[in-house]
Amino acid sequence: MRRKAATLLIPGPRVGRSRWRTAFADFDWVLLFLVAIIAGLGLLNLYSATYATAHSVKFTQQIMWVALGTLSYFLFSMIDYRSLRRWTWVAHVGVIFGILAVRFFFEAVKGSQRWIMLGPIRIQPTELAKLAVILSLARLLQDWDEQIIDKRTVAYSIAALILPVLLVAWQPDLGSASLLGLIILSMSLMLVQTIWPIIVTMLTGLAALPLLWERMHSYQQGRVLAFLDPGADPTGAAWQTSQSVKAIGSGQISGKGFMEATQNHFNFLPEHWTDFPFSVWAEEWGFLGSVGLLMVFLLLILWIANVGLHAKGKFGQAICVGVAAMIFFHTVVNILMVTGWAPVVGVPLPLISYGGSSVLTIMTGLGLVSSVSKRRREI
Amino acid sequence: MPLIDGHKKNSQSLMLVRERLRYLIAIVFIAFAILVSRLWQLQVVRGEEYFRQTRRNVVDTRMLPSVRGKILDRNLEPIADNRPAFNLYGKAGDIDEEAFERISRVLELTADEREKMQARIETAHKRKRRSAILLLEDQSRDRASMVKQESHLLPELYVRDEPYRYYPHGRALAHLVGYMNQITAAEFDEREAEGYQSTDLVGRYGLERSWESYLRGKRGIERFVVNARGERIEGPDTDGLIEGARFVPPVAGHNVILTIDLALQEHIEKLLRRRAAGAVAVIEVNSGRILALASTPSFDPNVMTGHLTREREAQMLSDPRKPFIDKTLRQYYPPGSTYKFVTGLAALKESLVSAEEPLSCTGVHKQGHRVFRCTSAHQKVDFQEAIQHSCNVYFWKLSERVGIDSMAQMARDFGFGEPTGLGLNGDAAGRVPTKQWYEERDTFKIGHTLNAATGQGDVEVSVLQLAMAYAAIANGRKLFVPLLVDRVESASGDVVVQYEPQLRRLVDVSDESLEIVKQGMWRVVNEVGGTAYDYARSDMLEYSGKTGTAQVKSMRRRDDDENLKDWHPDRDHAWFAGYAPAKNPEIAFVVLLEHGGSGGKHAGPVGKAIVEAYFEGRVPTTEDKGETP
Repeated sequence: MRRKAATLLIPGPRVGRSRWRTAFADFDWVLLFLVAIIAGLGLLNLYSATYATAHSVKFTQQIMWVALGTLSYFLFSMIDYRSLRRWTWVAHVGVIFGILAVRFFFEAVKGSQRWIMLGPIRIQPTELAKLAVILSLARLLQDWDEQIIDKRTVAYSIAALILPVLLVAWQPDLGSASLLGLIILSMSLMLVQTIWPIIVTMLTGLAALPLLWERMHSYQQGRVLAFLDPGADPTGAAWQTSQSVKAIGSGQISGKGFMEATQNHFNFLPEHWTDFPFSVWAEEWGFLGSVGLLMVFLLLILWIANVGLHAKGKFGQAICVGVAAMIFFHTVVNILMVTGWAPVVGVPLPLISYGGSSVLTIMTGLGLVSSVSKRRREI
Repeated sequence: MPLIDGHKKNSQSLMLVRERLRYLIAIVFIAFAILVSRLWQLQVVRGEEYFRQTRRNVVDTRMLPSVRGKILDRNLEPIADNRPAFNLYGKAGDIDEEAFERISRVLELTADEREKMQARIETAHKRKRRSAILLLEDQSRDRASMVKQESHLLPELYVRDEPYRYYPHGRALAHLVGYMNQITAAEFDEREAEGYQSTDLVGRYGLERSWESYLRGKRGIERFVVNARGERIEGPDTDGLIEGARFVPPVAGHNVILTIDLALQEHIEKLLRRRAAGAVAVIEVNSGRILALASTPSFDPNVMTGHLTREREAQMLSDPRKPFIDKTLRQYYPPGSTYKFVTGLAALKESLVSAEEPLSCTGVHKQGHRVFRCTSAHQKVDFQEAIQHSCNVYFWKLSERVGIDSMAQMARDFGFGEPTGLGLNGDAAGRVPTKQWYEERDTFKIGHTLNAATGQGDVEVSVLQLAMAYAAIANGRKLFVPLLVDRVESASGDVVVQYEPQLRRLVDVSDESLEIVKQGMWRVVNEVGGTAYDYARSDMLEYSGKTGTAQVKSMRRRDDDENLKDWHPDRDHAWFAGYAPAKNPEIAFVVLLEHGGSGGKHAGPVGKAIVEAYFEGRVPTTEDKGETP
């Protein structure tokens, strides 16, 4: 087991190093490399998507957010992730308050309350909630594993974990709520010893779907219906999807070339910088470019899984599984969405979509993974 | 040993994770495989189709109207021309119910206009909702400036200055020139490939219809790039998106030059307008060229072309005089006595009568139980006198010798019973009955022959047929195909097609027989006792003719024909046909006053006026003739 790990990770000298070298000892350069590629392509794509439009300022804003995210990445990779254990519930409660604040103190944008406005900066607590949930669940799994908590505390903790999911669904932001659910589910399935209660819960949840449908807003129902029958109303909810599918398809094998996407340039893709940046990418770079980008995401997810495999302790493992799940589900749902195989639920593509909260959350999560990776040898 | 225990636990946990990681990785691979296959499907399998769709998304075309060719008379006076007009355009996608109501309110649209606009928007919704379409054509200056000034109220609309069909002489030649109106949905489906648009006007009647392909020209195209809102995008980066030329200039239609003399035509129409209903044809006898062809009542082509309201249309359709029917071509009538030359020539041809042989007329002709009445008792009359006085009994007696089939043969030779070959407005064949024709329907009786002899009963001719026959009498038995279009010229003046006179046949009669008939016709107008002498003799020049008063078969009482003074469905048709001058004729003419009364009394003066109008100022007087060497 150990031998195998050694072939994957390069051991370095452990004595007589400067502080700088200590900081970057065992640093996961592969992870950084993959993250940098995706973030770079994301900025390139955003430039093309907003170039010479009224939204070109979004490119500059995104650069700022990526810079901030990078800072966070390095910060969290230097901090020993284990020291965050005691802060997880604080972060969790903070995020819940954030979601509640959005609900009660800030006005709705497009019929849904999602943002905290601090002057020019808009923060989406639901994005941060994903990170908080990963950390809290990781802590819960670790505590449970070490058997330092009783069953009652476990029950409370599970309730506390489910709470933000319900709050987000109530916003309403069905996309983020299901993503949170999927993250929790995959972490549990990966790391809980006995998984049959989880599977039972899952099946019960599926059975409750019709009930959920009753509770959905009409625009949400409209989106789902439009997804199920895209030919019915080409100007309404399905218009976005059908234009996005056209954009992707029209890229053909090698694409129309950088900044040559007509669908994007002439505004046939609404909101193409948030939910549909992949359509712009696919239109400009074609099948080869799209698959290339997907492969980088695949490599990133596999690498994070690999880091998790070698992590010391359940906490680190859980963080890796959680972040990998977060990136995996965002990517898959977003691409299914833009290719017309999932309803438009507002799930961003990690590091490619415009949006500060999303970038910050993903970068911080990856920073934690980097921290886990760096401390894989420590006991 | 908590540490060892912890370590052990950690190993167990690792085992667990490693176990489940296999599934995780499998799921990740499957998910990505699904994504890649979806991309393969969209980008590789269907990529080309989507590519075309996105091109269609961004490239819009604007059709540039071509200038329709003019229709000109022989002196190049325009009869159908173009003038600038304000056309109202908008995008179907912009005009929802609210906008439609607002536009109707601000512009105070009539019910007809609303209906027209609604139909056009609905058609466009199915095809191209983002492209501008013609909503209302030829709007008033007031309305056009309102659209420009009140653009905040009517942001969906804009005005374009485009050529519009215009008939400077109004009703003149209305039936021949015709009019235009909007293409129907069915026609559009059929002719879209020829470059028509759903709001186009097409030639609907007359020359406008039958010469559409020459007159129309070719539409130009402007291609440009638009964004999702249909806004035009300029700039060099749009170049690669447009396949084909950005700008194809329109090609103007060909001009059609007629054989018509518009001055004569207008004079004739003025004469006819005082009569309730009628028709006139004037032909050049030596070429078959049509100088004038008038039918009244008519319509105003400027109203018919895009400005016909339902109310006006209903009013015209309910007029018993049928203003939409071309009475020179489409309608046929019993020719009455103008047809007697056929009976006479048939008898002369078979030598069944000599010009000198007198026959007696007592004013009645008994045939079995039936008694046929003549206009008066003409006593003993020879051939020419019979024509001069229009003696029915003489021709009844001739017809008994000749038989209906020989008469029919002669009639067919003169072009009756078949279309003239003009190929316009449903050029009618008319009817020349034969023995067989009667037997096929009922039984043949000798009375049918007697009726046919005087152009009554089942004989029916069109005004143009009669005119072509009289031209053949005048020119010495040459029956021409009537010629209406002299040539077609391109907009720059090059002749595209030139039409030469076309001889249909030489009528099988001897010159001597023809001369006898012509003498008789001369006496009709120029000798005391001639049926036209009192009404149509001209001091200006000598010409020949034959009157006809055709009894109307259907004696249907109608009391609802309001205010039509000299028009009544029971009244006789008044005919006057002839040629001028009597020697070396130049023109043949036919006047028909539908239910107009007596041929000599009512149609005669009109014929005289036409002849005098044509020769006024250019006919050598008798004295001049003497002086010329």
